[in-house]
Amino acid sequence: MSEAAVAAEGLGRDYGSTRALDGLTLRVEAGQQVGLLGPNGAGKTTAMLLLATLLRPTRGHARVFGQDVVQERRAARRRLGLVFQEPTVDPFLTVRENLDFAAALAGLDRRQARDAITVALQRMGLVTFAERRARELSGGWRRLADIARATLHAPSLLILDEPTVGLDPEHRAALWHFLDALRRDQGTAVLFSTHYLAEAEGADAVVLLSGGTVVDRGSPAELMRPFGSSVLEVEGPGVPALVSALEGRALAEMLVHTPTGCRIALAAHREQALELAGSVPGITRAVLRQPSLEDVYFARTSASALRGQPV
Amino acid sequence: MIAFSAVAGIVRRDLRRAARQPSRLIGGLARPFVWLLLVASGYNAIANPGTGGSYREFVFPGVIIMACLFGSALTAVSTVYDREFGMLRLMLASPAGPAVVLAGRAVSATAVGLLQGLVVLAAAPLVMSITVRQVLLAALAIVLASFVSALLGLLVAARLRSVENFAGIINVLLFPMLFISGALYPASGLPPLLRWIARVNPVTHMVELVRSALGQPTDLSPPANLLALVSFALITFVLASLLFDPEQRFIGRPAQSRP
Repeated sequence: MSEAAVAAEGLGRDYGSTRALDGLTLRVEAGQQVGLLGPNGAGKTTAMLLLATLLRPTRGHARVFGQDVVQERRAARRRLGLVFQEPTVDPFLTVRENLDFAAALAGLDRRQARDAITVALQRMGLVTFAERRARELSGGWRRLADIARATLHAPSLLILDEPTVGLDPEHRAALWHFLDALRRDQGTAVLFSTHYLAEAEGADAVVLLSGGTVVDRGSPAELMRPFGSSVLEVEGPGVPALVSALEGRALAEMLVHTPTGCRIALAAHREQALELAGSVPGITRAVLRQPSLEDVYFARTSASALRGQPV
Repeated sequence: MIAFSAVAGIVRRDLRRAARQPSRLIGGLARPFVWLLLVASGYNAIANPGTGGSYREFVFPGVIIMACLFGSALTAVSTVYDREFGMLRLMLASPAGPAVVLAGRAVSATAVGLLQGLVVLAAAPLVMSITVRQVLLAALAIVLASFVSALLGLLVAARLRSVENFAGIINVLLFPMLFISGALYPASGLPPLLRWIARVNPVTHMVELVRSALGQPTDLSPPANLLALVSFALITFVLASLLFDPEQRFIGRPAQSRP
């Protein structure tokens, strides 16, 4: 059996008396795509920095392709490609020079570097930007250059901390297309975090973090299963009345309160529920749709989702 | 191999950056030349350093060191920019390790200080008569002075969290080190405490090495100056390596996720 890309057990980190990450147990198989989701301060970045060998764990341990992230961190780093929240490209250097710098840091010799840079520029569609200074690039292109930078040494595991934050839909699509191709062609495992939850729906597995602990995990399909086949999303002052009406008729399977309203996983009789939503006064918005990871997210992570248990 | 490739990569990047911000290089040279052309001209008339020559001749080695010290130390301190913009994290995450990052940075900062020191040295014929042998010896002293200044800058950068402290570093560290070094006036005239500080101040030894190279009298012999500078370099490198530890000090708390 091939070694797991990530095998973490009880991995945790404190800053002073703050528990940033409590105890993360995580396994990412080679070639898998795994998403870390959770609100700000949930411990996603800490988890990624620990696995990236840039932070020392307070407790627990982790291995990247069998290499301990503390004891054997240099060996682990050779297998890792890292993309941080802020793009790490030097604005004064051209895209090619930035890649050249990263290749040198990764220990590629001049010829390997040249070849790897050519391939990466082509893959990311960056050829026309190669001789431009990074500061002349838009945020989206700079991010793609950053990802090209992280993949030059053909890492077996890419760790990406919110890679798509602030990107327009085109660049986001390009980025995921690239990661999928990398996984398909080279079997690169990907561990990523994102706030665009729809991006995680294609992942092999998702880990939901909140307050430094894992609150749920599984494949996106497994996680969405408790929500059944349809979710009614409602907003407006009439929400409490509608909720009690739905509960009274046993139409609501699960309730999730969000900052703007309520999401209701429906039992059967969708039409009946929708009709009811139309008849209760004070409902400003009612949408019937399929469940999404966002429903799971709100159910598991928001403080306002205290009633997010099956009713 | 990876260490060599990483050092070369860091140096290439730093020199490219330096070349693309010529205003910084020119600004760095303005300081010593202002001193040499304006201040020294004024003092020349009223000051007698008691070393036989004019004040301008006396201050020339000090002005060379001023160029090296500021050029190298400030280039090294700019490592703090890299921390702010995540580039440092990238370097520390490379398999090469922190000591290699430090070494690469030291080499490129040395190169910047060396360049500035040599430009000032090239102005020597305006100030004094100088032989080729003196130029070569002085150039060697400038290499060492720039290297030690670079390490000093890296040590400072290891504890610095934001670039806003740049001005503070210059005023609180570099200028006092320069003033208490015998660079601008003889240290022998200082009160005993300051004289003692001057003796352990690496800048004193840099200035004395250049003085010796240019045939001016010094307190200590060149071998003693060399020993002092090499010891200082070793201690600084070890200290800076420890502080460069990616855990805690250099990375610090991860930035909070953005919404």
